[in-house]
Amino acid sequence: MTESKEARRSQIDLPSGYQVEHDPDDLWGDSRVIVNIGPTHPAMHGALRMVAKLNGETIEKSYCEFGFTHRAKEKLGENRTFHNFTVYTDRLNYCSALINNVTYAMSVEKLMGVEVPERCVWIRMICCELARVMDHLICVGINAVDLGAFSFFLYGFHQREEAYTLVEKLCGARLTTSFTRIGGLMGDAPDGFEKELKAWVEKTRKVIDEMDELLTNNKIWKKRTVGVGVFSKQDCMDYSFSGPNARAAGIDLDLRRDQPCMFYKNVEFDVPVAQNGDVFDRYMVRINEIRQSLNILSQCADKMKKGPIWSEDKRVRIPEKTVVHNTMEGLIHHFKFFMTGFEVPAGEAYTQFEAANGELGFYIVSKGATRAHRMRIRGPSVWHFQALSPMVEGEKIADMVAALGSINIIAGELDR
Amino acid sequence: MDIRHPIPTNGGEWVTQFGEIWRGQVADLKKTFDGAIEEVKMPQADATDVPIIYVKRDRLVEVLKFLKETDGFEYGFLADITATDESSELRFEVVYQLFSQSKLCRIRVKVRVPEGVSVPSAVSVWKGADWAEREVYDMYGVQFEGHPNLRRILMDERWVGHPLRKDYPIKGYQIFTDPQAVDPERLK
Amino acid sequence: MSKDGSVGYVTTRLDDFINWGRKHSIWPLPFGTSCCGIEMMASLAADYDMSRFGAEVIRFSPRQSDLLIVAGIINLKMAPVLKTVYDQMSDPKYVMSFGACASSGGIFNVYSVLQGIDTMIPVDVYIPGCPPSPEGVIHGLMRLQELITQGQTHSQRRLAQAKQG
Repeated sequence: MTESKEARRSQIDLPSGYQVEHDPDDLWGDSRVIVNIGPTHPAMHGALRMVAKLNGETIEKSYCEFGFTHRAKEKLGENRTFHNFTVYTDRLNYCSALINNVTYAMSVEKLMGVEVPERCVWIRMICCELARVMDHLICVGINAVDLGAFSFFLYGFHQREEAYTLVEKLCGARLTTSFTRIGGLMGDAPDGFEKELKAWVEKTRKVIDEMDELLTNNKIWKKRTVGVGVFSKQDCMDYSFSGPNARAAGIDLDLRRDQPCMFYKNVEFDVPVAQNGDVFDRYMVRINEIRQSLNILSQCADKMKKGPIWSEDKRVRIPEKTVVHNTMEGLIHHFKFFMTGFEVPAGEAYTQFEAANGELGFYIVSKGATRAHRMRIRGPSVWHFQALSPMVEGEKIADMVAALGSINIIAGELDR
Repeated sequence: MDIRHPIPTNGGEWVTQFGEIWRGQVADLKKTFDGAIEEVKMPQADATDVPIIYVKRDRLVEVLKFLKETDGFEYGFLADITATDESSELRFEVVYQLFSQSKLCRIRVKVRVPEGVSVPSAVSVWKGADWAEREVYDMYGVQFEGHPNLRRILMDERWVGHPLRKDYPIKGYQIFTDPQAVDPERLK
Repeated sequence: MSKDGSVGYVTTRLDDFINWGRKHSIWPLPFGTSCCGIEMMASLAADYDMSRFGAEVIRFSPRQSDLLIVAGIINLKMAPVLKTVYDQMSDPKYVMSFGACASSGGIFNVYSVLQGIDTMIPVDVYIPGCPPSPEGVIHGLMRLQELITQGQTHSQRRLAQAKQG
C-alpha cells in the first residue's frame, strides 16, 4: 500500500531556508534542491551569497547577491573633501590598496591639471606593480586553498609578508596604506629602497618559479581547473570583462600598454594572453603577470632618480611642517587646508587604470567646490561577479568554488 | 589649470591622439540621428575629458546600438552605467561610459530624466548592463523600461528610499532583524 | 604548571582546571568580511602562526567553534546574519571584535553600517586598528585567554550566574 505524496512530503523535516521540490517517489532520480551558499560560507570569500537550484550536484539555475559589505563610499565621496577621501580608497580593493590610492590621486590631478614630478611618478609605478604582485599572489593562493592546495598558499603568503615589509618602509602601514596625496606622496622612499626592492624582486622570481613547479603541472590541480568555469571571448565582451580575466579568454588588451599613463611607455613588458578562458588559464595569466610586474619593478628601480616628490602647484601642496610650526600664516594655511580643503575646478572626468583585477575607474563630477558632486567608483569585481551565474550554469557545484576563486572577487570593491 | 589643459603623465595625450576621430564621430552621429542629439560637449572647449553626447530618452537604445556596432565607432566595451542627481527640473542624468577596444578611445553618453520617468534599458545591447542598471535603480530610483529583473541590489530589498539621492541623509539607518530570505521565484 | 613542565600543585578547583583547558583549545570561527579578513589570514598563516596559542583549528561552522572573530565591517544587511551565527554557537562562546569597523563603525558613519557589533552581541575583546596588525591580533588573543582563565568573559559570567540561580 502506498502513502499519498502529500503525506510522504510532510514527513520530510527540513530546516527553514531549504526547500525540496523533488518527487517523493523518485528520491534519488530527478531531485532538485535549492541550496543557499553564503554570505558567511568559507567558499564565498567573505560576503557573497549564491542561491542555487541543484539537480544532483549540477547547478541548474542560480542567482547571486551582494551588498553585505556596502559601506557607502560613493555617498562619503560627496560628503568628504577630496583630500579626506584618500583613506576611503584603500578600502576598495584592499588586496592592492596602493593601486586604488594612485588611481584616485591621478583622477583628481587630471581634473585639476596638476603635474607631479618625475620621481613621484616612478614611486607610484613601483607602488602599483608591488600591489599587483601582492593581489595576484593572494588570488592564486586563495584559489588553490579552495581546491585543497594549502602549502601553495603559504609560499605565496610568505612572499606577500616580505612585500608588506617593503610597503611598511614606504608608508608605515601594511594593508591600508593611504600613501598618495593629491599632487604628491605621503613621503619619499627611504634611502636604499631601490636596492631592497631589487633583492625582493630576485627572491620573488625564485619563489614564483617554485610555486609554478609545485602546482602548475599537478595532476589534481589540472583536473580541477582545465575546462572548468569557461567563459568565451564573446561572453567576456558582453559582460564587460577586463584585466586578467578578459586576457585569459583571448582579449589582448592591457590599459597599461594601450592607454598608457604615468611612465608605462618607458618600460618594457609583455602582456600575457591565454585563449581558453577557463580557471587554469586565469591562473596562468596571473602567474605570468607577476613575472612581468617583477620586470617592471626592476626597471623602475633602475630608472628612478633622486628629486622632489611634490608638485609645484600651490593649490594642493600640503604646507611644510617647519613653516606650520614657526609662522602664523603657515598655521592658518595648514588649518584651512585640512579643514576646508582645496577647491577643484568644475568639470568631470573618468580616469581609468589597469588595476590588478581589471579596469578601475573613478568618475568624478566637480562643481567647483571642495567636495565632489558625484564620486563614482567603477570596480571590476562587480562586472566579474555578475558573470558567475551564467558561467557556472550546468557545472558541478564544486566547480563553482573554483570559478569564483579564479575571477578574484574582492568584497570591498564589489560593494563599495 | 584644470581638465581643459591635459597633463601627459595623467594619460592626457587623448586630445591629440583622438581629437580628429572624435570630431568625425560626432559629425556622423549628428547626421545619422538628426534631432536625437540634444547637446555635445567636447574636450578642451568644455570641462570634460572625453566628448559627452546628450541623447533624447526615447532614442537612447538606438544610439547605443549604433555606437556599438557601426564601423568607425566600435564602442563595444560598456565601462560603466551610473547616474548623477542634479538638483534641477530634469533631476537625474544617467551616464554611460563607453570604450572602444579597437580604437582605444572613450566616449560618454548621457540622458536627462525627470523624477518618476523611466529610461529604456540597455540590456538588449549589453548583457552586462543588467546589474549596473539595477544599481542605478537602487541608489537613485531611476526606473529602466524593459529590464528583466529590476530590483534592489546593494541594499536590502525592504529598504525605503534611495541612498545616493541628495536629499537622503547620510546617517539614515534602517535596521532589519532577520536576513533577506531566499526567493525561489528567481530560480524558475 | 611551572615552566619546566612539572606539576607544582594539583588544581583544587575544577572550574579553574576547566578554564585552563578552554584557554588552550580555542576553536575560532573567522567571520571575515573585508579588509580585516586579509590581516586575519596573515595572522593565521606561516609568519605569525596563531596556532602557537592553541587557536589552531579553524571551524567555519558555528556549532563547532567557541570564538567568533568578527573581522571587518558589519553592515545592516549583514547584521541579522551575524546575530544568527552568534545564536547558533554553543556556550561558552567568546567574541573578538577585530578592527575599528567591527568595534565602532570606524570611519564609516553612514546609512548602511552598523555602528559597532556590541550594539547587537556582547563582545569580550576589542582589537583596535584599521586593520590591526597581526601582533595586535595575537595580543588580543592572549588577553582573551587571560579573561577565560579568570572566568570573566560574558558567556562564562552568564553561565556562572545561571548556576547560582
